[in-house]
Parts: sequence; structure tokens; C-alpha cells
Amino acid sequence: MAQDQQLKVDLSPQATNRFLEQLLARTGRGREATIPILQGLQREYRHLPEAVLQRVSELTGLRLADLIGVATFYHQFRLREAGRHSLRVCHGTACHVKGAEDIHEAVLRQLRIPENSDTTPDKVFTVERVACLGCCTLAPAVQIDETTFGHLTAATIGTMVEDFLDARHRAVADVDLIQPRRDDRRQGEIRVGLGSCCMAKGSDALFHSLRRTTQDLAIDVAVKRVGCVGMCHQTPMVEVRLASGANAFYSKVDPAEAGRIVRRHFRPLSIRRQFAGWLDRTLAGWVNPDPEARSNDQPALDFAGKPVVSFLGRQVRIATEGFGEMDPLDLDEYISQQGFVALGKVLGGQPEATIAAITASGLRGRGGAGFPTGVKWSRMRAAAAADGIKYVIVNGDEGDPGAFMDRMLMESFPFRVLEGMMMAAASVGATEGYLYVRAEYPRAVSRLRAAIRLLEARGFLGEKVMGSSFRFRTRVFEGAGAFVCGEETALIKSIEGHRGIPQLRPPYPVESGLWGRPTLINNVETLSLVPWIIRHGPAAFAALGTEKSRGTKVFALAGKVERPGLIEVPMGITLREIVEDIGGGVPGGKRPKAVQIGGPSGGCIPVALWAIPVDFEALTAAGAIMGSGGLIVLDEDDCMVDVARYFMAFLQKESCGECTFCRIGTMRMFEILDRLCAGKGVPADLGELRQLAALTAQGSICGLGRTAPNPVLSTLRHFLDEYEAHLAGRCPAGKCKALIQYVVQEQCTGCTICAQRCPVGAIPATPYRRHEIDTTLCTRCDVCRVVCPEAAVGIVSGGRPCVGHSRKETRPEPRECHE
Amino acid sequence: MSKLISLTIDERTVEVPEGSTVLAAAQQLGIGIPTLCYLAGVKENKPSCMACVVRINGDARLVPSCSTKVTPGMTVASEVAEVKAARKAAMELLFSDHLGDCISVCQRVCPARMQIPEVIRLVAAGQMREAIAQVKENVVFPGVLGRICRAPCQHGCRRSKHDGAVAIQLIEREVAQQDAAAKERFVPACDPPTGKRIAIVGAGATGLSAAFFLLKSGHACVVLDDHTEPGGQMRHGFSEADLPRAVLDGEIAIIRRMGLEFRPGTRLGRELSLGELRRDFDVVVLAVGNLQKTDPAALGVEATERTIRIDAANYQTSVPGVFAGGSAVRTGYDPSRSVGDGRMLADCVGHHLEGKPAQIPHLPFTSTIPKLTGAEYQELAKGSNATLSIRELITAAEQAAGRCCHCDCRSANHCKLQHFGELYGADTRAFAGEHRRRFEFVRQPGGVLFEPGKCIACGICVELANQAPAALGLTFAGRGFEVRLTAPLNRPLAEGLQHVAEQCVRHCPTGALTFEKAEQNDVKPTT
Repeated sequence: MAQDQQLKVDLSPQATNRFLEQLLARTGRGREATIPILQGLQREYRHLPEAVLQRVSELTGLRLADLIGVATFYHQFRLREAGRHSLRVCHGTACHVKGAEDIHEAVLRQLRIPENSDTTPDKVFTVERVACLGCCTLAPAVQIDETTFGHLTAATIGTMVEDFLDARHRAVADVDLIQPRRDDRRQGEIRVGLGSCCMAKGSDALFHSLRRTTQDLAIDVAVKRVGCVGMCHQTPMVEVRLASGANAFYSKVDPAEAGRIVRRHFRPLSIRRQFAGWLDRTLAGWVNPDPEARSNDQPALDFAGKPVVSFLGRQVRIATEGFGEMDPLDLDEYISQQGFVALGKVLGGQPEATIAAITASGLRGRGGAGFPTGVKWSRMRAAAAADGIKYVIVNGDEGDPGAFMDRMLMESFPFRVLEGMMMAAASVGATEGYLYVRAEYPRAVSRLRAAIRLLEARGFLGEKVMGSSFRFRTRVFEGAGAFVCGEETALIKSIEGHRGIPQLRPPYPVESGLWGRPTLINNVETLSLVPWIIRHGPAAFAALGTEKSRGTKVFALAGKVERPGLIEVPMGITLREIVEDIGGGVPGGKRPKAVQIGGPSGGCIPVALWAIPVDFEALTAAGAIMGSGGLIVLDEDDCMVDVARYFMAFLQKESCGECTFCRIGTMRMFEILDRLCAGKGVPADLGELRQLAALTAQGSICGLGRTAPNPVLSTLRHFLDEYEAHLAGRCPAGKCKALIQYVVQEQCTGCTICAQRCPVGAIPATPYRRHEIDTTLCTRCDVCRVVCPEAAVGIVSGGRPCVGHSRKETRPEPRECHE
Repeated sequence: MSKLISLTIDERTVEVPEGSTVLAAAQQLGIGIPTLCYLAGVKENKPSCMACVVRINGDARLVPSCSTKVTPGMTVASEVAEVKAARKAAMELLFSDHLGDCISVCQRVCPARMQIPEVIRLVAAGQMREAIAQVKENVVFPGVLGRICRAPCQHGCRRSKHDGAVAIQLIEREVAQQDAAAKERFVPACDPPTGKRIAIVGAGATGLSAAFFLLKSGHACVVLDDHTEPGGQMRHGFSEADLPRAVLDGEIAIIRRMGLEFRPGTRLGRELSLGELRRDFDVVVLAVGNLQKTDPAALGVEATERTIRIDAANYQTSVPGVFAGGSAVRTGYDPSRSVGDGRMLADCVGHHLEGKPAQIPHLPFTSTIPKLTGAEYQELAKGSNATLSIRELITAAEQAAGRCCHCDCRSANHCKLQHFGELYGADTRAFAGEHRRRFEFVRQPGGVLFEPGKCIACGICVELANQAPAALGLTFAGRGFEVRLTAPLNRPLAEGLQHVAEQCVRHCPTGALTFEKAEQNDVKPTT
């Protein structure tokens, strides 16, 4: 257990001082170093030991009160000791609708976590809730240390923990440490998508396996690291591209199958290797004599076939240009694909002309609010800085549960994000910048940092950028886990080393932002669109979309949809086209109910309104918002009161706690929704809910509070019948545990599996006879329904069956993988 | 001289220097805007309570006036219904997470409105003379009620849920007893004579109690009664063992010393009529007791068979200038209510004589603690008694008084939340919810009492402590609904406060930070 011993930390004064000396040399000692210092401590000690905080305060002069204030504000930090492994249960929207609560309970049960604790008594595991891991297409998901497990059920938690404990010594080398090689493509290249959710499905192991195989076979082919491939439903995905230009795709590839794919397309150079390959195939043929069956194991994905054409056909690549083709960290390749052409144009021309072009393109901020980007830039350009310093901040604090667009852009196209940022800086007269990236996105952080180093080395960052008079420096600031820091004034407070409390605007950051200086804050996606606009001209961008919403929008499509993934579509496309054509509709023959768009500030749009185009104003009119791009499909098994309750629980936890309406109003709204879901609602509750919603929207200081009532208001507007059913003690979707009962239906064959797996012994085993559930013992953990091979376990509420649940869903087996 | 900005607030124009807040501009116009979390020069531009919201230029959203800077031509709406409703709601939300009784339950339920916690504190301090004076502010017959009162105060006592109520009745009786045993009994000073004459029909608890307070205000009182001796039910309805006559006589003697004129053997409708009384007196008070022994028709006012009809808001009968109270206006006999009626009647009659509309004094505005948990009751009881153990206990009353948990707020009448809550008619239970702060008394070195349950997270003390050099400092820990004021690493708050403690107590807008000794809290501005 050498690894476990390494995790023991030395808390002696000497060791502490030694560690702090190194840490502080890296972070600095000012107020703005507060969060980086605490992050350093958290990584070293897995919590923030009191004595060490005290020492930090002595060494830096930072007040203990401030350190504690910050440490308790951000989720990343913990003051209590933690177990050796941290097990994080994702409670993002997609995971929630796919049963995250059941998963969480099963984890606590499996690990025997005592009540009022989050850590196993032997201090091996600490269980945490996370708002969203940003791998929504794997829902429901759990992360243990760096390993992500997806597609879990309440019945597979035990296997997951065993797999983790078995596999934890198997380390996979970091794919980002590999230098891109561009000179060995004689036979072609093999592309492997290495976004962090692809990797969570094992694509990095596959990548290494392919490299090993090609080296072993001495095949002269490049195994290429590419960014997100978008088709999360098909990952790990491999594209084989032959020198002839022909290509083939393989989906859901296991690392063990690498050899077969390589040999199918490429021939080893040496005769000896060719013979070995032949022998290998022949021997395999003896073991599995049906060659047809074997080749069908891993069919090449037919891109001409309908599903893929539908998935890709309506998409337009602007922010995601080079999707699935480009190595995220290959600067030469980026340059060869028109990279920095746009920045060159900006540096060679007048800044006013760039701003005019951005204004003419009709680009609006993609962070959610849709403020015209050109207007913001021109105000920023006009803003005078007393000491000449202005900042550009890239907002990569993508906190919406159910959204991972910005993570994908930062991981797959770091150079593009930086190019857009520099174009903005050059246009508005800024010389310094920050990329504020969510703590939960380590891969985005590391790739952006690597990209910055490469750009600095090649003269794209620093003094005299591209030989011009423009100088620009930028760095990555890691967020520490606070949804509210996506709000621009809170984000600024956070960089300055404070609790992330939003400030009353005006003054806006363009007037007085970071350290009181003019500051431009743009979203990752907004800036990713900018290079294309300048290269192709504003008219080309404005030609896409609707009158007031131009260009494209990137969405993270997840939830109850056949083909979840990361998509970029022209504005004006309808919700129905997105869900049905691109996403392939709802799986399992279930009926679709709504899409949740815009995350916690957004709303639910029912099927009947799916003809609505993707357009800022149209979505707002329907009670939702464009938001940052989370798009969760909900079906008949999803309870809309529960969805409202889910978002209110999230917002209530994420409220900074400063202003009364948000701090207390969101809690009171949550309590009412919680009461309704528990069947304890009274008719007056709906009126009070509306009253609180109106007050919170009207009186809160920042956007979080003002939009917090949206999930409630939109569900009240479109699904009032479900609220009324809950008042009558019935949950039509069969989701709210207090209102449902599990029943064994007549298809039961008496196989006893449910009886064996029931964690509370509520099902007596009656072999060959229909089983019965003791509803007084039943905790509604869902295990029996999941394990029943006959789909005989159903759910009833208020005496009526909840039809969706009696259909058997097919879920992929969970698989373990490394990041 | 900085530039002047002109703006309009509630359709009135005002000019203020550039950079001023809307709040300052409103103050200049004399438009009152409630503020809780704002402290000039200390906590500006960090709005949190949202009690000061206004509407700017007709926007849908409301903004805090304390942090919104004026702009030329700005139109501000302050005294309009929707803005006022939002302010009220902000306070109601704060009340929903504000765990405090401004007024203790014992005092709220006392029909005679005795200032029970104050009396108890005086007794606990051994100040018996001050205690009887305080009792007699409201209760004329402490010796009597100390024996026959049904003591709703003790049913309401928060300690009763923990280990039994504080023996408030015993305390009251001993206060009276010590007064009776004193060389000179306590007799309140009377105001100079007003020249007004009041006839009170009935010399029971209500009539005598009314007489006491009217005499104290300088009005001449004549009490008429059928019987030969005053006392009514108190004299005739109880055994000597339950209520020794000497106690009653002693307490009536005090009223006589204040100038009471008693006319025995006089019955309304027999010896004289209401008309005659109205002719001879400025006001007539009917405190005739249970109507079963009286002919209602003989009274000359509107009455049913059982009760005289009055306006519940001011004890006025159907005949102008004629008031009624006590058992005559209700069924059943409750001595403390009768005594209380006399007290309240006196106030109403006083208003009437001054030509003002008669009105029962308002019950003071109060926030209320919801049902506490067992652990919280324990917390509440923690620390009481302790103050006494250092002294020799003299009497059982002092001992009983020592058990009082002091659940009434030390900051009542100094509390901005209470003040503005009352002003805006806030319903403190409007948004009551399941999640709330815990009840806690955190006693700090230096006599500061911290009640986290009452904290509204205004942040004023955080700013004060952090602006003071060298102190440990204070911070908010956590976020959302769970934001809590704390000193770092669970050190006592006092370490964070140090020499700004008094300042923090003074500026705390609620009773979250107070001095444990109630009287020290006078450093806080009165609201």
C-alpha cells in the first residue's frame, strides 16, 4: 500500500514551512493570492489544517478572518479532514433526471457512511455532492479521484467501488504530454477524441493502446490526439484516415480492440511483423471460428447512414471549426488552419474597424444574457484607465449544471479561445488578461496553460505580438467552485481574493472592474466565434440565424435523448429539430415531455412549443432563456415539480447569501417545492410560491437571484396540472418518493433477483411465485425495478400506474476509465 | 464644491452633490427610507438587507437606495405601494430567519401587561423597592394576583418546556409581601389635579384598578358600590386561606391614600341613575361585575342578558362618555383580566378626557420564536441561575427569578428590525419556514452576548471589526442560507471584536449583539 502511505501528510512545523515556502514563491503573498494559496493547501493536505492556515496568515499577513471567509465560500475547500479517496456524486441536471439521488443513497449505503458524516469510519472514502461534473452524456455519473464512472444504476454501485479499488494502481500516462508529430503520415492517421468526457469513457487508454500497437507493428501512421468529437453517444471514437483520403469511423471502441482496427487498415512495414500479424489473426480465428461475427464486433460507423447524417447534417462549425480533426495543442496545425489570420488582420488594421465588424455581425454574448458584444467592446475601448492598464477576462466559469460547451471549447480549441481574447484585447486597448476557468475542469486548465506557453515561445503572446506594437500577457485563474462566480462582478471579486459576492451595477466592469480598472469580460464561446467572423466578414456570420440572434450556438445536448452530444447549430433552428433530428428523439419508446434550456436561470419548454426557434427573444417569451447552452431533454418519467425543486435546491446552495431576497427567498421557495414533492403541499402554497418568485426576481442584487425563480415560473406556467396533482397527493411521473409505491406486476416469474437485491429486505423471496413488496419497509431505492429482468416492477402513485416506468430501459453497462 | 445633480423623488425635485446616494437625496427631502445594513462611513455600497429598495425610472427591478448613486434627471419612486410592499417583504423574510422574541411570551400573555422580565431582573438583583414600583406600573393588586391569578405567564414561560416554568406568581407575591412588610409602602406619585371627575360603578378588581391609574393621572375618582366594603369578588369570592383579607385591605388602602372616594351601599338603577352620574361626572365607568346579579336594563346602556356591549378597541359603551369593563363585559371571572381591564380602561378614559379617540394601548410589536427543540431549550436555560450563584440568596423569589432565561430581547426598543417591521406592518410569520437558525446564547468575555439566531447578516460588525487594526477580525462563513457570522477558526467572537465590541453592539440593527446586562444596551440608539 505504498500509494496509501504517500497520502499521509507531514504536518510537522518544518515540513509545513518547507511546503509553504515553495507554495508562496509560486503564488505570491498578496490578497489576490488567497485562492491559489488555499488551492495549494487543499491539494497537499486534502483539507485546510488549522495550524497551516495560521502559519499562512503569519507568513503573508493575510488575515485569518479573510482566509476563513474565502475558504468557506468555495466548494473546493474543506476544513474537516477527508478520506484518502474522494468520491463525488454528480448532481447535474442530466444526472438528476437519470436518478442521481438514488445513486447517492446507494453509495452511502454501499460504503456504510455513518449519519451526519461524509467519510467512511476507516477514512478511505469521502463522499461529496458535486453540482455538475460536466460529463452529462455519461449520466448518471460518479467520480472517484480522477476516475469517472458513467451510466450507473443503484444496483451497480458495489461493482463500481470494487473496480476502482482493483484498478487504482493502473496509471495511464497523460495524453497531453505527447509532442505532436506531423512528419510521419505516410500511411495515414488515426484520430482519437480526447475531450475529458471522451477520456472518462476510456479514450486515453485507447489512444495509448493504438500508439503501442502501431509502434509494435512498426506501422508508419500517426495516432493523433484530437479534441472533442461531439458524438458523446459513440465514444470512445476512432477515425481512421488513409493516405488516399478515405476514412472510416469506429465507435465505442475498447482499448483491447486497437490491434484489430489498426491491422484492418494498415500493413506493417516488415515481413516478420506481417507474419506475426497473420499468425495472430489465424489463432484468433481458431478460438472464434466465425470471422463474420468477429468483424461485426466493431463495425465501422457508417457516416452515410441516417443517424450520423442527422446528427452532423444540421450543424455549422464556427466556434467548433476543426471539430474532431485538430490536435488541441498543435500550434503549427492551428496556424495551418487559418489560425491567427484574424488576429493578424486586427493588428494590421484599425481597432475601430474590428469593433465595427463585430457590431455588424450581430454577435451577442453567449454566456446567457445576450448583450451585444460590439457595444460592450466599444464602451470598453472608450473607458479610460488612470494608469493605462485595462483587462480582458475570459469567463470560463461554466457553472450551469447540465452544460459543458465552454469546457469542450477550452479543451479542444485553446488557441482559438486565446486568439479571440487577444483580438478583443487589441481592439479595446487591454494589455493584461485572465482566463477564469472552473475548478472542476482540470483538463481545460492544463491545456490553456500549455497553449499559453506555446504562444509565448512563438511570439504570439508577450511584447510585440506578431511583430506589431501590441503587447499582451495573460494567465489562467482557477475558480474554486462557486456557481455565482460566473456572474462577472463576483468573478472579479474572486480573482481579487475575496468571497465571490456580486456587486451592484452600475458601475459596470467596463467602467470599474478588476482592481477598479476597466475590464472586459466575455464568455469563452463568444470569443471563440470572433476569429471566424473577422476571417469571413461580419456578413457571413449575420447571414446565419434570425433577425436578432445571428450566427450559431453551441449546445450540450443531454438527458433523455438517443444521441446526446456537443453540437453547434445555426440560430433559428427549432427545438424539435435539435431534439428529434440531431438528437434522435427520446430513447426507449418513452414520450418526450419538455426541454430544460438555460440551466438554473432558464426554464422548461413543453413538447407542444418545440416549434420555437433558438433565438434569444423567442426563448425568453416562452419562459426560458438562451442561457449558456445546456439543453436537457425530459420525458414522461420526469416530474416537473421535482425539476423545479431540483433547480431551487441548487440555487439555494449556490446563492452567495448576501441579499435578503435571494438568501432567504430561494430557501422559502425550495421549502414549498419540497413540501409539494413530499405530498404535504396546501393550495395556498402555489400563491406563496408565485409571490416569492416575483419578490426574488424584482429585488435581488444580481442575475442569479433575479433569474432564480425562472425554473419555478416556467413549470408553473406550462405544467400547472402537475403541481395540482401533487397537491392531491399524486406524482404523475412516478418520481417523488413520498408519493409513490413500488408494485410487482403479473409478468413476475418469481426469479427472486429483486428479493436478493433489496437492501432493506422489503421483498420476501417466493420462488416461482409473483413477489410482493412490503411498502412499509420499502425505501423506494429503485434497485428492484432496475434489476428485474422481466420489467415486472412498476410504480404507482395515487392509485394510478405511472406508465413510463413499466417500460424496461436499456442502460449500457458501467465502465471504468481514467482521466 | 462638487457638481449638483437634480433628480425627482416621489415627484419632488431635489439637488444633491454628484456621487450622493439616492438614500441621501431622500433624506434631504425628509422622505424616510428604512435601512438595516447601512452604516454611513462604515458599510456603504455593500447592500444586503434590501429594506431600502426604491424604483428607478420605472424599472421592473428594485434597487437598494443606500448604494445607488444619483444621476441627472433620475426619477425615484419611494413611497409607492409596490416599493413599500417589497420593503415589507424583505423584512418579513428576515423575520422568518430571525430567532427572537422582542417581547417575552410571559409578558405578551399577561392580561395586566405586567413587565414581567423587568420585574424578574430587579428581583434577581435584590432591588425589591424598584420591583414593586415596576409592578405597580401595571398591576394594582400584586398581593392578590400573587395568590389567585391563573398565571398564563407561567404556561407561556419558555422554560416550562425545559424543566418547569419560572415561578412568576411566587415572585409577584413576594414583591408585594416585601412591600407590605416595609416601613413605608410604595405609593405612586400622582400628577397634579386635572379637575376632571370620574364615577366608577363597582369596587371590584376592575373598578379599583381603573381608579388607581386615573388617580395617578390627577383625575378625581368616586367609586360606588352596593356593598359596604370595596373589593368585589376579591373580597366575597375567596376564602381567607386563599386570599387573606389583610392583603386585599393593604392594597386597597394604598388607593385610598391616593385620594379614592368610596361610596358604599350605592347601586346604579336604585339609588341613582346613569343620567344623574353623567350629569355630575365627566366620565362614567361601569365595572359592575357579573350581570347575573344585576338588571341589565337598569344600567342605561345597551346590554344583553349577560354582558354590557362595548367597543372592544376602547371599552366604550353605547352611551358616549360611559365606559365599561371587567366581568360586566365578559362571561366568567378571571381576576388578572379584571385587573388588566381596569388598567386599560384608565388609558382609554384618559384619551377621552384629552379629547383624543380612546384606544387600548397597542401590544408592542414583536417577533416570535417558533417551537424550539429540546437541545435549544437546554441552550436557552444555559447560563441562567449562574448570575445568582455568586451571591447569597435571600429569598425564594430571588431564587425563582434567577431561573429566568431572559428570553425577551435585550435590544427591544433599540432594534431597527423591530422598529421598521412595526412601521411597515410586517407579519413576522408571513414566510415562516422549516429551515431556520438555531437558538443559541453565546456569552462572550467582556459582557457581550451574541445570539446568532437573531443575526440578519447585515455585515456591519464584520466591517467594523475588519477596519480596526490588529484585531483578529470577523467574517461570514459559508454561503447562501447558511451564511454565518464568525470569528476565524471558531475562536470566540469577542476576540474578533476586541475594542470595537461596544461599537458593534451599538450599531447591530437587531439584538444579535447586545450587552448581557440589559441596562447597558442603552448605548444603542432608541428607535
